[in-house]
Amino acid sequence: MSAVATPARQSTGGISARTVNRIVIYGLLALFALFYLMPLFVMLVTSFKTMDEIQNGNMLALPQEPTFAPWIRAWSEVCSGLTCVGMKGYFWNSIKMVVPAVIISTLLGALNGYVLTKWRFRGATLVFGLMLFACFIPFQSVLLPMATILGSLGRFGVKLQNATGLTFGFGNPTVNLVFVHVVYGIGFTTLFFRNYYEAFPNELVKAAQIDGASFFQIFRRIMLPNSLPIIVVTVIYQFTNIWNDFLFASAYAGSGDVMPMTVALNNVVNTSTGVVEYNVNMAAAMIAALPTLLVYVLAGRYFVRGLMAGAVKG
Amino acid sequence: MAFLEIDGLKKRFGAVEILKGIDLDLEKGGFLVLVGPSGCGKSTLLNTIAGLETITEGEIRVDGRTINDLHPSKRDIAMVFQSYALYPNMTVAGNIAFGMEMRGVPAGERQKAIDKVAKVLQIGHLLKRKPSQLSGGQRQRVAMGRALVRDPKLFLFDEPLSNLDAKLRVDMRIEIKRLHATTGTTIVYVTHDQIEAMTLATKIAVMRDGEVQQFGTPAEIYNNPVNLFVADFMGSPAMNLIPATIGSNGSGFSVVMEREARQPISLPLGNAPAGLSAFQGKPIIFGVRPEALTDPEGAERNASNIARADCHIEVIEPAGSDTFAVTNLGGKAVVARLRADAKIQPGTVTPLAFNLTKAVFFDPATEKRIV
Repeated sequence: MSAVATPARQSTGGISARTVNRIVIYGLLALFALFYLMPLFVMLVTSFKTMDEIQNGNMLALPQEPTFAPWIRAWSEVCSGLTCVGMKGYFWNSIKMVVPAVIISTLLGALNGYVLTKWRFRGATLVFGLMLFACFIPFQSVLLPMATILGSLGRFGVKLQNATGLTFGFGNPTVNLVFVHVVYGIGFTTLFFRNYYEAFPNELVKAAQIDGASFFQIFRRIMLPNSLPIIVVTVIYQFTNIWNDFLFASAYAGSGDVMPMTVALNNVVNTSTGVVEYNVNMAAAMIAALPTLLVYVLAGRYFVRGLMAGAVKG
Repeated sequence: MAFLEIDGLKKRFGAVEILKGIDLDLEKGGFLVLVGPSGCGKSTLLNTIAGLETITEGEIRVDGRTINDLHPSKRDIAMVFQSYALYPNMTVAGNIAFGMEMRGVPAGERQKAIDKVAKVLQIGHLLKRKPSQLSGGQRQRVAMGRALVRDPKLFLFDEPLSNLDAKLRVDMRIEIKRLHATTGTTIVYVTHDQIEAMTLATKIAVMRDGEVQQFGTPAEIYNNPVNLFVADFMGSPAMNLIPATIGSNGSGFSVVMEREARQPISLPLGNAPAGLSAFQGKPIIFGVRPEALTDPEGAERNASNIARADCHIEVIEPAGSDTFAVTNLGGKAVVARLRADAKIQPGTVTPLAFNLTKAVFFDPATEKRIV
């Protein structure tokens, strides 16, 4: 800092209070950013190190002989409990659960927001209030009731199978998780879309009505194409939450080869076969975190824009 | 039978009555302007005609057909909104064609209709653009194009010019008038701007608090307002409404206006209309428009009853085409409209000519017109 400040003093004969403020602010921000990025840094460097290096070297040091072996091992060989087939299966489990859950909950939220703002009915505000309530229910309190419901759905699936030969997904743990996350997510997605559509001009809907568009035509042709910012916000929010969920995943799909990524990662880290393979664990954790990182990087620009659009009508 | 008929139309939101029994009718090819201050129910009335609001009571007929319960798209109407309501995700052509697309018109026909409308409104070069790439006036044109392309029985305009700047507003006003003249369509137009109402309308309905105060041609509304509200609302600058009393001076009645620190002005009414005799010695409101209160040289020559009075001029407002002079009568600022080159100085006492043939009188208690 002094290196920057000294020439400034020489040329202008003193640093203005503004410059000092800037330096302090940016200095602090840089410090916080460093502090915040430190764990990520340690994870990254560790995941590229050999076990020897980890045991004998400095935690913060860069890898001497970078190796992809821990990543490959984490992806296809690492043991989760007694099965040693790597993370890849669980990764796809998570994808299979997250993608439908995000799409369904986002679409339902958009539909709810559309109805609650553009087709107001008696008690619409009350209904919205109740849906908002869903955002405040702690995960833990729905664990048991939800387990009961999923149990009955499973029994229904067995009956269906006996009758028709197909379960139609009832009782399938992945389908169950999709169901749970959709139900739990509707409160949030509705909140996002309702607030966005509240500022969406009513006249557009009226014009479309006069043009002869039906309820769903207006939704599909007018509302959705003009909702990109809030769709991005909702998708990022839902994707991150559902991908990172551990409680529901461990409760309803906590064992066998249906486990989502988060549960599997936990099992990998807890599986002790002699030496703890920190590098593999770190690589597995990075793999588990990558999709959410990717979503942020790809859509983060819209995320901020969408948050603003909800707050102030653009 | 009129083309558009509205009978005893009422609209309630819960216990609140927004429209309290509206009766209007409009001939084919007519231009009806609904005008009034905000909250008077004019936009609600338009929305009930469009079918965007339901009706509590009454009936709306277009060309003899009752349309009360028809869906907006089945009413054979088109509407231009205040905010234009162009679909931001579609091109101009897409916007214009959206209604036809919804009705399943084949693409070839749609293109023909778009081209035709684009030619009328001179927006051909804009067809591929998105609404965000258009200026205010261009958006306005596209919004009109979207309405025109339907070739509807009835056009509805909801304050279409209020988002434009002053100069563009005048241009578009003329454009709308020209459009009406060339296409001969029937139009219902909502505005709070009384100049738009006067210039565009063949019929004006002045509304207040969900009631039609007066319904008539622009000239009727302007020259013969039925009550104080209409007199005050229509015209710019507004009509001078001066508290006065009716006196008699042997030969006939006169209207007497008090002045601060001066003798009252007494203007002889000559052979006054019979209605005024009941108000002898009582307070009334004397209404005279600024253009009927001028410098003596500028007074209308053909008027049968012009009275002069010396007035103390307080303020002069040269407006270029006219000069407005403000004096004080009956405790109110009164505006006179003088020729632009009238020799007049503020602070002086100058004779002003009152054109009493154009004067109107109101009962201050009921606010209704006397004569």
